[in-house]
Amino acid sequence: MSRGWPAEIGRVVLLMVVAVALQTLIVSRVSVLGVTADLFLILTVVTAIGRGSLYGAVFGFAAGVVADIAFLEPLGVRALIYVLMGYMVGSLVHRFTSVNLWGVFLLAACASFVAQVAYGLFQYAIGPRAGFFVILTTQVLPETVLDALVTVPIYVLLIRLRVVPAPHAETAAAGVGQE
Amino acid sequence: MPRNNVSWRRLVFVILIIASLALLTITFREADSGPVHTIQRAGAGILAPLQSWGAKVAKPFQDGYQWFKTLWSAHRRAERLEEELQILKGEAIKLEETVEEYKRLQGLLDLRDKGVYPDGTDFAVADVIAKSPSRWSSWVLIDKGTADGLRVGLPVVGATPMTGETLSGKGLVGKITEVTSNTAKVLLIIDSSSSVSAKIQGNRAEGIIEGSVSGDLTMDYVERDVAVDPKLVIVTSGYGPIYPADIPIGIVASVGEEDVNIYKEIEVQAFVDFRVLEEVMVLILPEEEP
Repeated sequence: MSRGWPAEIGRVVLLMVVAVALQTLIVSRVSVLGVTADLFLILTVVTAIGRGSLYGAVFGFAAGVVADIAFLEPLGVRALIYVLMGYMVGSLVHRFTSVNLWGVFLLAACASFVAQVAYGLFQYAIGPRAGFFVILTTQVLPETVLDALVTVPIYVLLIRLRVVPAPHAETAAAGVGQE
Repeated sequence: MPRNNVSWRRLVFVILIIASLALLTITFREADSGPVHTIQRAGAGILAPLQSWGAKVAKPFQDGYQWFKTLWSAHRRAERLEEELQILKGEAIKLEETVEEYKRLQGLLDLRDKGVYPDGTDFAVADVIAKSPSRWSSWVLIDKGTADGLRVGLPVVGATPMTGETLSGKGLVGKITEVTSNTAKVLLIIDSSSSVSAKIQGNRAEGIIEGSVSGDLTMDYVERDVAVDPKLVIVTSGYGPIYPADIPIGIVASVGEEDVNIYKEIEVQAFVDFRVLEEVMVLILPEEEP
């Protein structure tokens, strides 16, 4: 962490509050093809791209706990999934010098797909039974595309607002990137 | 202590994974009155006003979205009505919304007044403030909780705009599965884990209504030698501790039979359109003596 880490943590906390507000106020009420975007996952991905795997994992954990509380679901499920997604996306980004918008799109799509498969496996383990192709075509693929499409403008916006730094700038400033 | 950034990052990652697994384990192993559940309910209680406020803030945007959806069909009539439409458009949206809300509430009142419920049953009308975020589960969050007399296991009915010529739009919605002081989670009958004891009016055939991940309702355990015709009305049978008898559920949409199945395969179309559910009514049944 750099010398301005209190400010950075403040930005991340602010991002979390905004995520809770937007997810409950707007995003959960707008469904496209029967699915809604997962803003908690999207912001976890954006944080991981901009700030690296450590921030990505911590943000993912906090976002997951908040999501589980908000949706009254078993505590820890989303936290576990988002921690993994935050860390993996952050680790992947550190292997590159920079990430363009296509990269953001692909990272978000992969993270969304993996997160939904993991969540689906958990759901399948505790109860609901569904055909693989039914859930793939009605839930996983539409939300994967929706999450990826929503991630790109949010990423651009947060970079412009300097809430999240561009990944190459972070890498250069922190002198990290060898993982 | 970790010696470099990478080790530090990995240590934090491992700690977070362990914390997540610990939370998950405790959630499933502890009783509903345990500390983690209590903290979760308290957290949900804190978020509830935000969600409730969100529902109110989002409503104009949703109304606007609905307006855009209906605009296309209205456009074909626009040449003749253009001038009048411009004047009345804004007012019409508000009035239409008011009428829709009136119809829904009237439907709830009909359910209350015309239904036959156990003596001492009370009623609580609540707004839907959140819906399940994925198809894996089907539930809604409502803005009433223990402070309004709600408790786990209470049945919930609802009224939505009519979805077809024969569908009243009024019927069973589900049951309360979790409750905080100001919110309650209602498991919908279309959820894949839901099952409701039901009977078909007309031939008195009995069976179980089951939900599915796709949102379709089916009635199972109806003997093959029982004649079942489409359009017959299905109501709750009253068996079991949750649902009183004779609450309308839906109609028989189609009837099928398979050689390998000893029961009929009956698809059910619910009276309630769960996609547009905005208000519900909780039947506060009198508590049974222990």
